Amino acid sequence: MAPWRRKADGTGERASEADTIVPTPTQKHSICMVSDFFYPNMGGVESHIYQLSQCLMEKGHKVVIATHAYGRRKGVRYLTGGLKVYYLPLQVMYNQSTATSCFHSLPLLRCVFVREAVTVVHAHSSFSAMAHDALFHAKTMGLNTVFTDHSLFGFADMSSVLTNKLLTVSLCDTTHIVCVSYTSKENTVLRAALDPRIVSVIPNAVDPTDFTPDPARAPRGRITVVVISRLVYRKGIDLLGGIIPELCLRHPDLDFLIGGEGPKRIVLEEVREKYQLHDRVRLLGALEHREVRDVLVQGHIFLNTSLTEAFCMAIVEGASCGLQVVSTRVGGIPEVLPDDLILLCDPTVRSLSDGLEAVIGRLRRGAVASPAAVHARVRSLYTWRDVAERTEKVYDRVCVEEVLPLAGRLLRLRDHCGGVAGSIFAFVAVLNFLFLLLLRWLVPDQGMDRALDASGPQALWGPPQRDPPAEEAGEGSQPQRDPWSDGAPTAEGPLV
Amino acid sequence: MGPDIAPGPDVPWRKVLWERQPFPDNYVDERFLEELRRNEGIRQYRYWAVVKEAVLVGQQLSCVAIFITFWLYMEQGLLSPEVLLWTSLIVGVLGYGLHNALRPQLGTDREPRTHLADLQSAAIFLSFTFGFSPVLKTLTESVSTDTVYAMSALMLLAHLVSFPYAHPSPTGSLSLNAALFASVCLASRLPGALHTFAMLSCALLMFALWPCLLQSIRDHAIGPSAWLCVAVCLGGVGGLGSRWLGGAVLLALALVSVILLCPLLLVKLQRHKDNIQGPWDEAEIHEDLCKVPY
Repeated sequence: MAPWRRKADGTGERASEADTIVPTPTQKHSICMVSDFFYPNMGGVESHIYQLSQCLMEKGHKVVIATHAYGRRKGVRYLTGGLKVYYLPLQVMYNQSTATSCFHSLPLLRCVFVREAVTVVHAHSSFSAMAHDALFHAKTMGLNTVFTDHSLFGFADMSSVLTNKLLTVSLCDTTHIVCVSYTSKENTVLRAALDPRIVSVIPNAVDPTDFTPDPARAPRGRITVVVISRLVYRKGIDLLGGIIPELCLRHPDLDFLIGGEGPKRIVLEEVREKYQLHDRVRLLGALEHREVRDVLVQGHIFLNTSLTEAFCMAIVEGASCGLQVVSTRVGGIPEVLPDDLILLCDPTVRSLSDGLEAVIGRLRRGAVASPAAVHARVRSLYTWRDVAERTEKVYDRVCVEEVLPLAGRLLRLRDHCGGVAGSIFAFVAVLNFLFLLLLRWLVPDQGMDRALDASGPQALWGPPQRDPPAEEAGEGSQPQRDPWSDGAPTAEGPLV
Repeated sequence: MGPDIAPGPDVPWRKVLWERQPFPDNYVDERFLEELRRNEGIRQYRYWAVVKEAVLVGQQLSCVAIFITFWLYMEQGLLSPEVLLWTSLIVGVLGYGLHNALRPQLGTDREPRTHLADLQSAAIFLSFTFGFSPVLKTLTESVSTDTVYAMSALMLLAHLVSFPYAHPSPTGSLSLNAALFASVCLASRLPGALHTFAMLSCALLMFALWPCLLQSIRDHAIGPSAWLCVAVCLGGVGGLGSRWLGGAVLLALALVSVILLCPLLLVKLQRHKDNIQGPWDEAEIHEDLCKVPY
């Protein structure tokens, strides 16, 4: 564990200095990231896993990723820098999440864990059944587990009651949990009835080199509001549909540029049709990640109307491109940006319109910071290197923890998850253990091939990587990040 | 497992992410969960107030029982269709008079329906039912009696489940249709066309018009309406008891549990209610977004 004690006086160079004062332990981990959500699927979780893995690899750890097969994309693939991805043949059920039976994925995941000599299993997203399966199997196999929760969930309706129960079962014996904001931590602690001291808060990050301002691209003489989000109810698209006509009527030089796709697109199309705003409200449809910046720099104001949000990377991306940010005050959003970079509103049409009105007024008077100044402030707030460093500390502390043996695990399940659910899952845990014994008897661990390391201390991919010098590890500079450059499938044998 | 280090006492912790604070990532401040709110906007129920509302559910159950009683009488030939028709007519006229007497006090913002319009609808309904009753009588002839009974039971259950107890007037379309479907099924098993007509008129009176009348009585005076409901319940148990004792006992038990036990349970369990709210909850859109200005 690397305790560092320093007063937070500035946000600039703190990470690198902390490193030079107290060097991190040299212990290198072998990490397996597991989630249903990974490339070619796109979203916050996917890029989080990818960027975090890249930065951890840069720090000399070995990282492999396990996800389910996406169409013809199955087997083992390598991404940039030798990031090995296992696309396992598991059946997809709903919303890219796999079906779970607690057992069928054990042979495959055991194979990955043993072949890659994994020491820490890091599962992502509470919506991913595969992540929960992996936690379950890893605990059966005696591996340390970390779980990152990326989303908020309510407590009131039937589906959340069930989901929260499952989360309680899944997290009661997980070694450490990571949340992306303090609000998310409170939510997860309540949902899964956890000890808050085993929950760390590590925010998401944004690559500032991907989101640079370009004031020349924004149209002169007009004001453009940019919205980039999936067009779904939870993102408050109905509110957006109420704001657009009101503001377009009041400001003849105001345009809306909306990127994203979803079932609520019809709401915006109706508004556009009803108020004849075809030339002023542009719907761009689904955007690829690399197109986002080009859309963002065409605007002056970034509007986020989400109804719930654990962290909200979109507003950081918007601010990083130098835009004025207007957002709803929900979930973890108030924690993300300092007050001079964001205007928070209540989730109502009235409040959001007033907020936009205020920012438009400021823009007209020229009373706003320049895009370059905003970018300079944001670029050092959230970096993936920082995230990786803090995650590394979680791994360091997890590795010295003892994994509960089967008996302790059964007791924990019974104590923690209630009589009925606890007993059921204790039974499932016993079955899982017996199944593991059977598998070990059929194919002993010793008889399994060890995979060649593409990353980590014995990396065979390119020149051996060293810890970057401290000066470089500070703000801004990010690891090379060609978007998802993909190596050819290798000639490794079948998994089972 | 405790936090990595003890916090520096001089810098207060802030719930922000943009600033790196001198606390470990798993630090737990005293302000942790301070925005948690419990049982916000909770309603405290009082037992007798809940009973007064629950009696409405009981009386609807009894209405179904009364309808089945009439049908039993008709099917066994103990009640002639003429008697039922005349009774229905008299009760209908009396109810209409009462409804009219109560209506003016309900507020005059809406254009009241004229008596002529009411008369017209009544005439259309009655003449069509009368005209079609021979057809309805033979409608289910090719279907086995068991199926008809099962279907009727199912539909009456659907009527009870989908009945809009909070605002019984106008009767919900699903519950009314289910009830009428059940009555057509049952009426088609009666001996003659006039029987069918009498049964259907009776069904319209009980399932379509009675809830409206009850609602206007409730709006006017809630106390007497509760006693009225109790009277309906007693009538239901008594009526059913005269033909089928076991059914009456079951109905009485159901009524007692719905009217007395369930409210007791609700009030008793109320103190176990632990509803938590916080900043993580999904915001609700309260505005009517269809009514954007301009």
